[in-house]
Amino acid sequence: MTAPAIIPPRGLADRLTTLFWRHPRLLLSLLIAPPLLWLGVVYLGSLAALLLQSFYSIDEFSGLIVHEFTLKTYGELLRPSNADVILRTLGMAIAVTIASAFIAFPIAYFAARYAKGRWKAAFYLGIMLPLWSSYLVKVYAWKLILAKEGILTWATEATHTSWLLNAALSLPGVGGNSLSTSYIGTFLTFTYVWLPFMILPMQASLERVPNSMLEAAADLGATARQTFRTVVLPLAMPGIVAGSIFTFSLTLGDYIIPQIIGTSASFIGMAVYQLQGTAGNIPLAAAFAVVPIVIMLIYLSLAKRAGAFDAL
Amino acid sequence: MTSAVEFQAVSRHFGATKAVDAVDLTIAEGAFFAMLGPSGSGKTTCLRLISGFEKPTSGQIRIFGEDVSAVPPHLRHVNTVFQDYALFPHMNVRDNVAYGLMVKGMARTPRYAKAEDMLALVHLDGYGDRKPAQLSGGQRQRVALARALVNEPRVLLLDEPLGALDLKLREAMQDELKSLQKRLGITFVFVTHDQSEALSMADSLAVFNNGRIAQIGTPTDIYAHPKTRFVADFVGSSNVLPPALTQSLGGPTKWSSLRPEALHPAPFGPITGTVTALRYLGAGHRVTVTTQGQDIAAHLPSGTATPQVGSQMTLTFDPAALHVMDEA
Repeated sequence: MTAPAIIPPRGLADRLTTLFWRHPRLLLSLLIAPPLLWLGVVYLGSLAALLLQSFYSIDEFSGLIVHEFTLKTYGELLRPSNADVILRTLGMAIAVTIASAFIAFPIAYFAARYAKGRWKAAFYLGIMLPLWSSYLVKVYAWKLILAKEGILTWATEATHTSWLLNAALSLPGVGGNSLSTSYIGTFLTFTYVWLPFMILPMQASLERVPNSMLEAAADLGATARQTFRTVVLPLAMPGIVAGSIFTFSLTLGDYIIPQIIGTSASFIGMAVYQLQGTAGNIPLAAAFAVVPIVIMLIYLSLAKRAGAFDAL
Repeated sequence: MTSAVEFQAVSRHFGATKAVDAVDLTIAEGAFFAMLGPSGSGKTTCLRLISGFEKPTSGQIRIFGEDVSAVPPHLRHVNTVFQDYALFPHMNVRDNVAYGLMVKGMARTPRYAKAEDMLALVHLDGYGDRKPAQLSGGQRQRVALARALVNEPRVLLLDEPLGALDLKLREAMQDELKSLQKRLGITFVFVTHDQSEALSMADSLAVFNNGRIAQIGTPTDIYAHPKTRFVADFVGSSNVLPPALTQSLGGPTKWSSLRPEALHPAPFGPITGTVTALRYLGAGHRVTVTTQGQDIAAHLPSGTATPQVGSQMTLTFDPAALHVMDEA
């Protein structure tokens, strides 16, 4: 006797599998519905509510929110004191992103091209380990490192390089009494805290560049520098942009680091925190919160126009 | 005439692995030279030694008489068609082809004009605006070829360039590469593991085994007079006969080789055995006859009567076809 060509279904699991096999879209929609609902309702919904709030205004005498559509709140953003906050935050985000990119690239390049086996594991551990410890602990650690009585000052004195530190601190605008109370300190801490977010996507994109591509460039007469500019950099660009989205937007939105380290000057995140908390000015807080979103959209469209995603 | 490429006792060792071991090699200018061998035999490493992506552990490499041990790849007048083509995915076909001229600083107009000439040479005129991802495998291969030729190299290296193509396309490209090489007069050095490809295309070839050259010569020479058992077996899957069998067939007590197509069925003959396998090849059959514990393959052209598996069969051959090898 030969076995039948078709095995009869052995229960609910087989029937379900059959149903999904006949209607693949059904399974897909079942899988994607919960996250889509979360994204659509909770995430985009709250974003829409935020956007809506920013078009209301606050009555200056009563302190109550006027539920009428107006652009007045956005106008307030342009007030010198508020515009300062935006420009300061933007400048910091740009500086942190550029510094992160420069520091991250050699590390990512080494990890992607040369690290093998144990070295690769050590790399991942080295990058990820700081992310496992509390963000606040790291920030306070940096406060101690950068303080006037801190390890950095001590180290410069011991190595007779205090003049370097003093020269940095005497820079107009970014300097200050000590590193922990200057913009340089804020910048260093931001760069340290966000660096892994730049390294990881960069490393992923560099890993996808096959060795033969670099050899082909050299084979055709390109110097190491030309290979870097015409092949490595364009192919790594999607990773660099992805990393810079992290460092840029994380810096734009952070309110803890500038509070703990640096001058007492306000950043966008701090402004949002104060406006919606102590000041109760929800519309202006919302308008402030829209600024990073707009900046990111502008940044991404510029990156796209510059061809950063051509290699995707 | 100086030779295009010359190896003098060149070795490339990776730790304990001797990828290339004391290889002496001379490639004549204008030759279509093939390096043939199984994977891991050192042929690709030899190619990379010529292009400069590997440095010899010992020995000397000369390209047109000049010692290149201190010359990096980008300063060698040698270009490579890579096995995976290695086209730049973010550039269109024209920029890919013009890349070698671009890094030399040639202006855009003459550079693009020359790239178009090269594309015409490989029958891809009008494809300049496409991205590599929009091309078929055969077209990508041609772009890689045009890109390597745009620099007018004195030696063109091809690393298994036809490996990824289907049979029909591979045969067409074989003819095209051959005629291109004749027309340009450039020395081609070609790495392949496909013996029929090496035999049909090359003027001369080197058979690699375990990091050494087993034999070097013209295709007919290597096919008809293999020096070692390895060459006899690898090039054209010849019957390799042990000394005892050679002797019983009327030869000396040495290893010998006998081509399957040299054997014919006959009523009387020196080889009688049981048919153990029969394989249809399109242009005939390959029959395996087992005698004295040894499998002997014979080629039966179409039209010949095919025996049954399990039946007895007698084969004969021209005594001149029995090639005795001096080396084991």
